[in-house]
Amino acid sequence: MPVKTKQARRLVVEKTYARPARFVRLKPVGFPIKELHRNYFVNVEREDLFEIYAKEQWMGSVIATGDYLFDQRVIPDFAYQVTKVLPSGVVKIAEDTIVEIEKPEVKEDRGAVEGGVKLKDVIGHGHVKRKCKIVMKYLEDPESFGGWAPKNVLFHGAPGTGKTMTAKALANEVKARFFKVRATDLVGEFVGDGSKRIHELYSMAADSAPAIVFIDEVDAVGLDRAYQSVRGDVAEVVNALLSELDGVKENPGVVTIAATNSPALLDRAIRSRFEEELEFKIPTKDERLAILKHYVRTLPMEVDADLGRYLSRTEGFSGRDLKEKLLKGALYRAILEDAEKIVERHLDEALKEIDLALSRPPGEMFT
Amino acid sequence: MQPMPSMGYDRAITVFSPDGRLFQVEYAREAVKRGTTSVGIKCTDGIVLAVDKRVSSRLVEAPSVEKIYQIDDHIAAATCGLVADARVLVDRARVEAQVNKITYNEPIDVTILVKKICDFKQLYTQHGGVRPFGVALLVGGITAEPRLFETDPSGALIEYKATAIGSGRNVVMEIFEEKYKDNIRMDGAIDLALEALYKATEEKISETTVEIATIDAKTKTYRKLPVKEVAAHVAKAIKKGSSSKESGKG
Repeated sequence: MPVKTKQARRLVVEKTYARPARFVRLKPVGFPIKELHRNYFVNVEREDLFEIYAKEQWMGSVIATGDYLFDQRVIPDFAYQVTKVLPSGVVKIAEDTIVEIEKPEVKEDRGAVEGGVKLKDVIGHGHVKRKCKIVMKYLEDPESFGGWAPKNVLFHGAPGTGKTMTAKALANEVKARFFKVRATDLVGEFVGDGSKRIHELYSMAADSAPAIVFIDEVDAVGLDRAYQSVRGDVAEVVNALLSELDGVKENPGVVTIAATNSPALLDRAIRSRFEEELEFKIPTKDERLAILKHYVRTLPMEVDADLGRYLSRTEGFSGRDLKEKLLKGALYRAILEDAEKIVERHLDEALKEIDLALSRPPGEMFT
Repeated sequence: MQPMPSMGYDRAITVFSPDGRLFQVEYAREAVKRGTTSVGIKCTDGIVLAVDKRVSSRLVEAPSVEKIYQIDDHIAAATCGLVADARVLVDRARVEAQVNKITYNEPIDVTILVKKICDFKQLYTQHGGVRPFGVALLVGGITAEPRLFETDPSGALIEYKATAIGSGRNVVMEIFEEKYKDNIRMDGAIDLALEALYKATEEKISETTVEIATIDAKTKTYRKLPVKEVAAHVAKAIKKGSSSKESGKG
């Protein structure tokens, strides 16, 4: 659908008479030009003031449903779309028009979260799911927790055990806003950038509380002082995080979840700010079977194999290893052979090539 | 994870970190945790040592995987950690025991032997160019009465009534704290040791993976239990463990 600009519309309409509008509803849309690291999120604090603000700018504008109005006091111009006018048709914003702002729908604003993972798809990790439920309960009804709200949770454990997946599942299930940041994005180009980004992130989250902030690979910025020289200067980021996680400024209604593979590298003060450290363990035998069964269901090819046979041979595999190395390997082998389904031979061959020896200490050395 | 230099305090063992820690020695204790569980219990009529062994394949000759070593007629040690380091320490301990016997014409005092082992371990935490022993020993023996010591890679030693080293230490200690009694007898101690191993190994014990040794207080002699006796004790522990689980459910 071609966008009808205000100007184009005006040319047509100027000749005709536009009736004064009784009611106009605006929906915040976004910036025409993408400014880096800025969210298209508009939070109207006082609706009565917004109405005056809107009328001051757009008095006399001739509009119809679907038109865009640009807020020229914000740089770059911020666009609102007209979603409803009364009377319907082409109208003019007049002195006594009621201007309403459409509240952003929480769901749609959360940013797309890949796949439809749900908490029930996360296999094992009972203690983590319990905590997630608490967080969800809190976000549904923050007042009831008083001063005892869950604040900061740390996910840690071996790679591929489902830390990020659990966070995604949580994002899909809660109705609060979910800010997903990669810790590496928080390190800026210039000195001072990193801490600014963190403060921006948290003020955004606090504005839209209740909200979840998920920081993936937090060890990239939350490094212990002893390691900071290795990573370049992240001291300012550490200090910014410290103050946001639990510092002078309180962020009520904001729950931070951070994930890392190596909690030992984290700054001690950052680590102590997490009320709970939840470890993601390498799946047990039964969990491996459940994981395999779960992924087999999503494979584009039928699997004709006894999965139970692979449990003892996949000891020490993480969920990701099972999916990406074993099942994917078998699937690609089957595709190359133009086979109709995945048979045990494909799985066997894939398994043979996986070498996890490096990730496991040699058992024979220890007694 | 690649370990990053923590300002170099973990590169050499002879360097203290500013808060007074010796990281290499602490890492050596981690090596001990990599070992399977070993337990030791002092009872009124002797010492019981019991271990869970890692038998990685059915092709391995299980008796060749040793975790309990006889050191003298009246002393034995259960080990946990690096196999090779354990053997070196055990050899050293055996020699010390014989030196004592030849020099003084009497069996070595358990305390003295343990202190000698620990002196040796300590040397490897204070000199440059060496690394600490990655092994802990549970040394049990009879001098006048049963004694049980634990030695760790730093060279520290503590005497215990009942203790455990290795991966299942926490689980076992919890059970011992609850169930150990000062008047426990050897039969009861073996049962308690196996009950603990049964829980620590997540219910995976068998006569091939469990080793039991006792030192009798009266005869002052070491005895390793033959497979048949071990099998009987293991069967009893499994039966007890699974029945208590069922009643716990009900």
